[in-house]
Amino acid sequence: MKEKFEAIVIGAGHAGCEAALALARKGHKTLLLTISLDAVAFLACNPSIGGTAKGQLVSEIDALGGEMGKIADKTAIQIRMLNRGRGPAVQSLRAQADKEKYHLEMKKVVENTKNLFLKQAEVVSIEIKGEEKIVRTAVGGEFLAKVVVFATGVYLDSRIIIGSFTENVGPNGFKNAKQLSSSLLNLGYKLLRFKTGTPARINRRSINFNNLEEQKGEEDIQTFSFMTKKKIANKASCYLTYTNLQTHQIILENLDKAPAISGEIKGIGPRYCPSIETKIVRFADKDRHQLFLEPESLSTSEMYIQGFSTSMPAEIQEKMIHSLAGLENAEIMRDAYAIEYDCIDPMQLQPSLESKLHKGLFFAGQINGTSGYEEAAAQGLIAGINAALYLENKDMLILSRSDAYIGVLIDDIVTKGTNEPYRMMTSRAEYRLSLRQDNADLRLTEIGRKVGLVDDKRYKQFLNKKQKLKDIFSLLNQKLKNNQKLIDFFEKNNEKPPKNSISVKEAIKRSNIDAFKINDEFETFKDFDYEIINEMNLIVKYEGYLKQQEEDIQKLKKFESQTIPEDFPYQKQKGLKIETIQKLSEVKPINLGQASRVSGVSPADIAVLGVLIKKYKDEVNAKKRTN
Amino acid sequence: MNKTIVAISTPLGKGAISIVRMSGKDALKIALKFFSCANKIEPRKMLLGNFDLGQVKEKCMMAYFKAPHSFTGEDIVEFQLHGGVAVTRMLQEKLLQGGAVLAQPGEFSKRAFENGKISLDEAESIVDEINSESEGEVKSVLSASSGKLFEKIKALQESLTELLAQIEVSMDYPEEDEYEDVRETVFQKLKECKKQLQEILQNAEQARFIKNGIKIALVGKANVGKSSLLNALVGENKAIVTSTEGTTRDVVEASLDYNGIRMNFYDTAGIRESQNEIEKIGIEKSKKMLDEADLVLIVYDGSEKLNKNDENIKKIIKKPFISVINKQDKKRSIEKQENEICVSALSKQNIEQLKEKIFQTIIKKKIDFNGVVVTNERQLQHLKNASSQVDNIFKEKDQSLEILSMLIKKVWNELGKITGETENEDIISMIFSKFCVGK
Repeated sequence: MKEKFEAIVIGAGHAGCEAALALARKGHKTLLLTISLDAVAFLACNPSIGGTAKGQLVSEIDALGGEMGKIADKTAIQIRMLNRGRGPAVQSLRAQADKEKYHLEMKKVVENTKNLFLKQAEVVSIEIKGEEKIVRTAVGGEFLAKVVVFATGVYLDSRIIIGSFTENVGPNGFKNAKQLSSSLLNLGYKLLRFKTGTPARINRRSINFNNLEEQKGEEDIQTFSFMTKKKIANKASCYLTYTNLQTHQIILENLDKAPAISGEIKGIGPRYCPSIETKIVRFADKDRHQLFLEPESLSTSEMYIQGFSTSMPAEIQEKMIHSLAGLENAEIMRDAYAIEYDCIDPMQLQPSLESKLHKGLFFAGQINGTSGYEEAAAQGLIAGINAALYLENKDMLILSRSDAYIGVLIDDIVTKGTNEPYRMMTSRAEYRLSLRQDNADLRLTEIGRKVGLVDDKRYKQFLNKKQKLKDIFSLLNQKLKNNQKLIDFFEKNNEKPPKNSISVKEAIKRSNIDAFKINDEFETFKDFDYEIINEMNLIVKYEGYLKQQEEDIQKLKKFESQTIPEDFPYQKQKGLKIETIQKLSEVKPINLGQASRVSGVSPADIAVLGVLIKKYKDEVNAKKRTN
Repeated sequence: MNKTIVAISTPLGKGAISIVRMSGKDALKIALKFFSCANKIEPRKMLLGNFDLGQVKEKCMMAYFKAPHSFTGEDIVEFQLHGGVAVTRMLQEKLLQGGAVLAQPGEFSKRAFENGKISLDEAESIVDEINSESEGEVKSVLSASSGKLFEKIKALQESLTELLAQIEVSMDYPEEDEYEDVRETVFQKLKECKKQLQEILQNAEQARFIKNGIKIALVGKANVGKSSLLNALVGENKAIVTSTEGTTRDVVEASLDYNGIRMNFYDTAGIRESQNEIEKIGIEKSKKMLDEADLVLIVYDGSEKLNKNDENIKKIIKKPFISVINKQDKKRSIEKQENEICVSALSKQNIEQLKEKIFQTIIKKKIDFNGVVVTNERQLQHLKNASSQVDNIFKEKDQSLEILSMLIKKVWNELGKITGETENEDIISMIFSKFCVGK
């Protein structure tokens, strides 16, 4: 008998869990299929969440009502703020997550969510019958739903490689999905073959920590989720070590055995995540490379060697590891491996993450050619929301590049595609100054509320924060009286004292003074907590630049408001170059903003397109009127 | 929401009248920063008034069309003036300073279309207009690519990209120890960029000289031999030479080619207080000429000591100048002058040396004639913008890296408007090719 659901999510990794939770929380009966229940929300590579740009993604997911931030806070065993010495936009949280606990906590949430059904099964094919999609599993199960979200991660026809040894399995030896790729090909999808890798894990007790630099967490700092009230306790440290000339020698002598270099691996690997052998070949002048030893979990002794991923044969790996300071006697528990897998060309997707080819099919995570837990979860959340909106017959949620990193991520992959696993970086976000981790809630909570994933508690807290900000801003025109105390304060901070009284705002703008110093001296903001003072301080300090950015954003919004009808006949247009027509009809941008980012489309093309679209719309309207 | 745009609507240098047109909600506000007239400003009325160009006021006509009753459907202000290329450019420059932005190809028509002022049937002609105007620009860029200028701008963009990659890698990979301190490198490289930009700008200016020639004004009190000097320079009797004070009333133009550069000479009426109406007009013209000139030759009578008239003339010159001590054939009585050269217009002594000195003063270094390229108005504007944006970065020296990065990207984008590269996709590629990062 065919069991019927409203939605089916294939894959229960970081994308699949967010997608399924969003669907179920919005009231849709959802089936979440996973190839192994032991692989739910599995941190297959490093045991860490966040980092530059990724920390922002996690807070954005949280503000929209996603799950990742909460679980990351709950399972973090160390937390730090990166780029502390730099500007506010590039500051990001990075946590060491307890790998075992992360998987269990997310699984627990999924298991206990109403409308959500988690089941272990290998999906072998999808059939589309009108509105209905039939999902078939390897053991003969058949499930029906109106929408399907593909979140298969790196499991599609995957194969791991260790030297000359290869095996057709998924990450960490989990079963892979052997037949689903051909089902996707049959449905008309173009597939890409990508590659990534993970380093070895070693036993903690075998490390000689004497000469290794310890990297501790920071106490009493922010959390990923705006709802987490308890500060994260640092329970574990990371350690630094370096490769040396001996390590390089071993690698160079055995290059012929490295499958990535010998050509055994055909998949395209990410440039930002090169194997150690690639680093040594490409950057031959460097005599050492930095490595981090990261704890995998409090309940295991496994340590992850960040920076040392390789696909060398196991025996060479051992030699390489033993050449490292502190790891001379390391016990290797898991070998490093490279993994190749199928994914789709993301240009086949709309900005909603719905497929252009078939209605009701959504794609999220590594199957879209991205990399990273955070990138996957972000897409999963959006795909889940939009799958739900599809069921509800409502407009899709499309975040702009000026709204969120999530918007940048999705726009990048669907507009430009990617020729390597795509990783989020702050440099990809042109409105970075406005897309900070600290204001993710201010940017997105309202949107999450409208979508229906922000509960009353979160919404109330958000409104409260907004009110507090309003209150604190109303204090800024207050004058600080020009008395000895003020003069002393300015002089103490190496600032020229003002001639007359000075407003609080002007004082904050001085480069050696900030809102916290003023509060310490004059108690101006004593009724406000750190979060609010910090937010206000940033906005005042960066006022001029934020305003400049706001102007750019307005320009973008103007373009984005000029929508392009889905059936706009590019082929019939005169005045556009043939190659422009080809590119635009492939991408099918939803508005002029997206069109302007299609590679090879010039500003003049956009000006022309603007005229042609208005003409087309006016003609359609005129026709409607006469009918 | 639309910015107020401005453009010179008539072909430069052709036709007796040039029109500068502005469209957008601030058009009138910007216009009235510079234009004054006795009458009340009323829509659809031609008004005669003065446009303040800084050193001079230019008489011109202004017409104001109030939205929506205008070509674009927005507020429009048009200026009609008699001036040549330089004055028209100066007027536009002022409006840009006043807050207008340069119009994109076909933008006036595009706005007209968007505001329903042009019918659907005409949409295609607008498409053609946008395409042909931007093709014109592409062509000028392409012709540029045969030369050095375009390549130089590209190279500059590339070094900015490199710089950006360096900044970005330090922010995106804060844990990679060796990419920490980039600030010093950033400013060092920016200085180089600034230098290159200045060179390009100079080059662009020189390119302009090649296209339009150098404008050289001859000034001096009456009867120091300006007209004879002019004749000696161009070798023909173009100016009327008599010894009666005040015979040169018109600004006379004569040209010669020197080292491939066209030198256009403008003789001016001897500047002195004059009662004669006709001569007064001539003197007004002379003053305006001084404003437009690229170089001024201040001519002195070497046989006489400086008098008050000479001093007055020296005072009003704000342009690069050469002091030409004429009448070298007579006994010298004049004091030493700044940047001087002694000649004799009568016996043609040192005339060639004067030409070389003019050439050296304006075209500071040797021009590569195969390399320098003519830039159009818009390109020049973008270069100037980029240059002042770089200056700005030096003023924000202490800002955080992300701000510096934002400001440098602005410069890159400004240059991209010349090279046609609008999106910098190379930063990230450069990060991965130049820096060893990643887990």
